[in-house]
Amino acid sequence: MTTAPHALASTDNTGVSWRWKLILAILPLAAAIFSLCVGRYAMAPQDIWHALTDKFTGTVTVAPQISTVLWQMRLPRILLALIAGAGLSASGCAFQSLFSNPLATPDTLGVASGASFGAALALLMGFKMLGVQTVSLLFGLIALALTALAGTGKRQRNMNSVVLAGIMIGSLFTALVSLVKFSADTESQLPAITYWLMGSLDSASYDSLLLGAPPILAGITVLILLRWRLNLLPLSDEEARTTGVNIRAIRVVTILCATLITGSVISMCGQVGWVGLLIPHMCRMKFGNNHVALLPASVLAGGAFLIVVDTVARSFSAAEFPISILTAIIGAPFFIYLMRRTGGWQL
Amino acid sequence: MKLTVQQGRFGYSPDKPVIQDLNFSAESGELIAILGPNGVGKTTLLRCIMGLLKWQGGTSTIDGIDINAMSAKQLWQQVAYVPQARGAFAALTAQDMILLGTTSRIGLFSTPGPKERQLVYELAEKLGIQNLLAKKCNEISGGELQMVLIARAMAAQPKLLILDEPESNLDFKNQLIVLNAMTDLTTAGICCIFNTHYPNHALLRASSSLLLQSGGQAIFGETSQVVTAANIQAAFGVDAVIGAIETPEKIYPTVMPLRLTAKKTATAPDSAATQPVIATVAIMVSDSTVTTTINNLLSTYETYIIGRLGLPQQVQGVAVINVVLKAPINIINALTHRIEILPQVCTKTTVANPEMLT
Repeated sequence: MTTAPHALASTDNTGVSWRWKLILAILPLAAAIFSLCVGRYAMAPQDIWHALTDKFTGTVTVAPQISTVLWQMRLPRILLALIAGAGLSASGCAFQSLFSNPLATPDTLGVASGASFGAALALLMGFKMLGVQTVSLLFGLIALALTALAGTGKRQRNMNSVVLAGIMIGSLFTALVSLVKFSADTESQLPAITYWLMGSLDSASYDSLLLGAPPILAGITVLILLRWRLNLLPLSDEEARTTGVNIRAIRVVTILCATLITGSVISMCGQVGWVGLLIPHMCRMKFGNNHVALLPASVLAGGAFLIVVDTVARSFSAAEFPISILTAIIGAPFFIYLMRRTGGWQL
Repeated sequence: MKLTVQQGRFGYSPDKPVIQDLNFSAESGELIAILGPNGVGKTTLLRCIMGLLKWQGGTSTIDGIDINAMSAKQLWQQVAYVPQARGAFAALTAQDMILLGTTSRIGLFSTPGPKERQLVYELAEKLGIQNLLAKKCNEISGGELQMVLIARAMAAQPKLLILDEPESNLDFKNQLIVLNAMTDLTTAGICCIFNTHYPNHALLRASSSLLLQSGGQAIFGETSQVVTAANIQAAFGVDAVIGAIETPEKIYPTVMPLRLTAKKTATAPDSAATQPVIATVAIMVSDSTVTTTINNLLSTYETYIIGRLGLPQQVQGVAVINVVLKAPINIINALTHRIEILPQVCTKTTVANPEMLT
C-alpha cells in the first residue's frame, strides 16, 4: 500500500484503523454480556434482557433468583473485573514506559507486596472484607512512600535506583507476608490468607466497589488524559526536558496514578498477576508504542481479558479457581503465540 | 537571536575546572563547532550553554536575557537539543518521534493535531526523510535516526540548535547528509552549535570554532584561526599539518594528524602573520540568497579591499565576483574560509607576497 505523503500527514492521531477501534470498543461489552449468561447457573440471553429491563420498568417478568444472581452476584463481579483489568493493564503499561523496562509490572514499586501484607494482616486480625480492603490499600501506599524515601534523594538521580528500592521494599513486605502466614492459625486463617493472595473476585459487592473503584477510575482517567505526554517517559531525562515539558511532574503523576490503581485493585481482589504485563505487551505488538493508541487499547483489552478469565474461573468447577493461575494459563500461551507471529516488539 | 556566554565556569570538583573563563557569542546564521580531546568536557559545555547544567560562574544569555531567568517553555521554544543518537525503549514511529518535538506547544491534555502533523511533513520534506515517517525508530539506520532527531528538534521551531556529536559513528554519506542539513539550516537563518571529533568538519563547515583544552581553557574564533597546527598540538598533543585538497571548483582545507607530540614546546606567535599580502578572491555562485550573504560578508572586509575586477557579472545565471585585498594573511584566510563554507559556491584565493613580485 502506498500512502500519499499528505494523506500520511493528515491521518488521525492513533494510526489505528476504524475496524480495530470498533473491535476494541465492543470487546469489553461483549465479554460482559457473555459473562452475564455463563456460569454454574446458566441464564438465557432473553432472561437477562428481561431482568435488566425489569429493574427500570418495575415489572416482574423473570424468576426472582435470576434477578438476584444477575444484580447481586454477576454484575458487581463483572464491574470489578472490568475495572481491575483495565486498571492493572494501564498501570503496567505506564510503568513499562516510565522505567524503560519491558519487565516492569504494576508491582515494580513494591505496592502489590505492601497491599498483600496489609490484607494478610487484616485477615489475621479477623477483619471483615471492607476492613481488609482498607488496611490493604493503606499498606500499599505505605510501601510506595517507603520506596520513594529509599529511592530518591540528592545522590540518586535516575529511575533505576527507584526500581531497585521498589524491589527491596517489595521483598521486605513479601517476607512480612510469610511471617503473617507463619503465625496464622493453620485451620482457618492460613487457607483464607493463601486463597486471598492467589487472587479472587469472589468478594465483589457494590460496597467494596464504592470504596475501591473511584481511585482506579481517577487514575485511569488522568493517565488517559496525559496519553500524549506519556510518550516522553522512555526518553532520557535530558531529552525529555529539552522538549520544554516538566518531565518530573509527569513522572510523579504517572507513579501516583499507577500506584493508586494497583493498590486499590489488590485491596479488592488480591494478587491478580500477569494482566499488567501481558495486556500492554500484546497491545504494543498490535498498536505500536504511541500511548495515544496504546493506553486506551490496553485499558479496553485489559478489562475484557479479566472479565473472560474470571468467567472461566467461576464456571470451570464448583470450587472456584484462583484467578492468578488462570491468567497465566490463558495468557502465557496466547502471548507466546502473538510474540512468534509478530516477531515481538523490539526494544 | 544572539547567544552570549560570559565568564562561564564549571567543574565537577572545585580543584579541577572543566571550563573556566569562557566567553563566546553566536548569532543567527552561524555554524559553530566545538572541538577538543576525548573527555575534556565538550558535552558538559553544551549542557552548561543551554542550562541543563548550571554554570558555577558566569551566564548564558539569549538576546540579553539570562536563560536561568526564562521559564522552561520560553527557553525550549528558542533552543532545541539533538542528543547523541541511540536506541531507546519502546520505539515510536519516526513521525511520532518528530511530533514529540511539538509537545510543549500543545495543551497538557491534548494530542498533536493536523497543524502539527503538517509541520512534521514539511520538516521531513525539507530534510529529505519523508520515506522514514512510517518506520519505527529502532528499524532505521544510525544516520537516519540522527536525521529524525534533528527533525524532532526542528519541530519546536527553535532559533538555536545544539547538537551533540551529530556525525559520530556515521559513514561518509550519512556524515555529509547530516553536515548538509546543518549547513542548510544555518543558511535559512538558524544558529547551530555542534560538538565534533572531526577538525576537518569544522574547517569545511563551521564559521567559528571553539577549541576546549584540558584544564578548562578555550580558544574561540573564526575557524581558520582556531583550527591551526599550533592549537591542535596544544589541545590534542598531536603534531598535525593543515593542508589543502584542490578540485577544479574549490580548495578544501584539511587537517592531517602526523604523530604524537614528543615534547610540548611553547610556540611563539608567527610574526609573519601580520605582514600584509595581496590576494585575489574569485567566487562563482548561482543562488541569489548566497550571493547576498557573500556581498554582506565582503562589505565587512571593505577596508582591506583595494579593487574589484569589473562589475559583478551574471554569466548564464552564475554571478562571478572578483575582489582584490591587501591584508595580513590571517585575515585573508578568515575571509576565504567564510566564503568556502557557504553552500553551492565555487571559490579560490590566490595570495602573493608583494616583495616576491617586485
